[in-house]
Amino acid sequence: MTPSPPRKDASELPVIALAMGDPAGISPELTAKLAADDTVNRAVRLVIIGDRRIFDEGARIAGLSPQLHVVDGRSPLEGLATAPAFLDLANLALEAVDQGQATPAGGEFASANFRRALALANEGQVDAVCFTPFNKKAMRYANPGYDDEIRFVADAIGFDGKAREFNILESVWNARVTSHIPLKDVAAALSPESIVDELTLTHRCLQQAGHDRPRIAVAGLNPHAGDGGSFGMEEIDIIEPAIRRAREQGMDVEGPFPADTVFLRAVKEGFHAVLTMYHDQGQIAMKMMGFDSGVTMLGGLPFPVCTPAHGTAYDIVGRGIADLGASRQALLLASRMAGQARRAGV
Amino acid sequence: MALPVLVLTTGEPAGVGPELALAVARDWQQLAATVVAVGDPDLLAERARLLGWLVELDVVDLGTRLPVPTDGRLPVWPVSLAKPSMPGRLDPANAGYVLETLDVAIEACRRGTADAMVTAPLHKGAIIEGGHPGFTGHTEYLRDACGVEGVVMMLATERTSKPLRVALATTHLPLSRVAEAITGAGLTRVIRVLATELNQRFGIASPRILVCGLNPHAGEDGHLGREELEVITPVLDRLRNEGLDLVGPLPADTLFTPRHLDQADAVLAMYHDQGLPVLKYAGFGQAANITLGLGMVRTSVDHGTALDFAGTGLADVGSLRVALQVARQMTARAH
Repeated sequence: MTPSPPRKDASELPVIALAMGDPAGISPELTAKLAADDTVNRAVRLVIIGDRRIFDEGARIAGLSPQLHVVDGRSPLEGLATAPAFLDLANLALEAVDQGQATPAGGEFASANFRRALALANEGQVDAVCFTPFNKKAMRYANPGYDDEIRFVADAIGFDGKAREFNILESVWNARVTSHIPLKDVAAALSPESIVDELTLTHRCLQQAGHDRPRIAVAGLNPHAGDGGSFGMEEIDIIEPAIRRAREQGMDVEGPFPADTVFLRAVKEGFHAVLTMYHDQGQIAMKMMGFDSGVTMLGGLPFPVCTPAHGTAYDIVGRGIADLGASRQALLLASRMAGQARRAGV
Repeated sequence: MALPVLVLTTGEPAGVGPELALAVARDWQQLAATVVAVGDPDLLAERARLLGWLVELDVVDLGTRLPVPTDGRLPVWPVSLAKPSMPGRLDPANAGYVLETLDVAIEACRRGTADAMVTAPLHKGAIIEGGHPGFTGHTEYLRDACGVEGVVMMLATERTSKPLRVALATTHLPLSRVAEAITGAGLTRVIRVLATELNQRFGIASPRILVCGLNPHAGEDGHLGREELEVITPVLDRLRNEGLDLVGPLPADTLFTPRHLDQADAVLAMYHDQGLPVLKYAGFGQAANITLGLGMVRTSVDHGTALDFAGTGLADVGSLRVALQVARQMTARAH
């Protein structure tokens, strides 16, 4: 067993609620590994939310036995100086979980943990929320009509502002103007306003994550970014005016750049983020650049929500080989953003 | 066995094409083919002088036997410039010259004097301005000259584990028009051309082709777009019944990862920016552009005229080398 080293001023560290995700995949193993991770415990005070029995199963798979301060679902969180704390909702019927299978019970478990974590953040009891991977199918069993995490969060905390998913690699962030819509509807969904809105949110989130002077590259929509209007007019009619407007507002924004090389340019030229116009424009490049080890962050909510970008990895469940990297990065990003928000008194 | 003959058009005279031809001639890197350039010998000689490169030009007549490839020697089928050309300075007066180099190469391939054509970049704007307003590019020009209905653009590059080949169902279209351009008939034709040429030109007995979906997550069962259900999947099913090895439609963002690419002889992307990024990312070498379906072999560099670099000798010859190698590989099967 590796006890966490004593931390300086534990009370100064951001408190992060970590919701256990789908119990049939690598989430329990990852949660146990996070609880035992020095880097994480030096940066945040963890409050893990889930069921103690499946956590222990994860710890057994990971070959760890992290120290926990366990409280039950009725206990107040105040005074949890000894982190990581474990809020045991005792909400999983272990016999209903088959390793490597999406089940309604698994979806309900992950949903309940996430809801509790969001409630704690919304009440100001924790500074940010993280979760280990969900299984979309299981989430749909448990929440008919389940769309994505943003929708879920907005419903759970009654948020009706503008929130967006960011995909984050160490080298570059990706934000997108449109997301889960048919490709044929993408062009019509673009407007200078929608692009400026995304740039504004991206700029703000980058600052929150510690980039004081964020630089953002914007992708074009059409092949070769339209090649001066030869292959489409959206660059000239929509994207360029949006970039001008964002610059007038003081943001450091450049483009539109041809989409097939915009990420290479971003990394080479030190842009902090790329704003893409549609889902696959960003996702293809990000996955080639190793996004499976990256982080997904929901920005624009009253508090940061972060999760590893990879999925439940049903194919390697139970083997203790799940890589902690992305989950650790998710915690550290949440910590930075929460710390910044605290200092700013947000 | 005689070496296959590759005819290399030197493209826009003010661009990097002429010096790229000279650069490959300085060091043929044991290319197992005879290469003959098409262009103005005076232009090539002058560009060699400007760069201080020792390349001897063998001006030969069409139909004359070509010398074996020797480093420092470049055989040339001559075509005369209308006006002298300066590096970096476009002159529409030479539009006819550029097209004539293409005509010479096409005719040579048709007659069997050459086995494949490889093209250096031309400048579309200069050709249009030079009195050919309908000109839209090499590929369309060749398509019309060869009298075929549709061609397929494919990019190829070397990769450590397996060559990477990406074909496009649509090319230079505004994104807003991509969805309507993906039709059952069009997609069927593209896949047939692709499978046939992978078999005949690349010698792959039963090529496995991974096909991208059009929409995010390949439409996610119709939640994020219906083209997969209504167009792509029915086409794939029909062609599978004909014995083709087709996988998909797959979400494009997961398809372009090594796990999938390692199993593919080619990938078919639905649009330009879906297919091209993978060729530009780390780990992949230089790419060549291949036109399938012409009834002849044509490969090309994957870059433009690079007017800023013309006359400096700094232009990267890598893509042209790949284009020559791929053309060589494709002709081998026909011999």
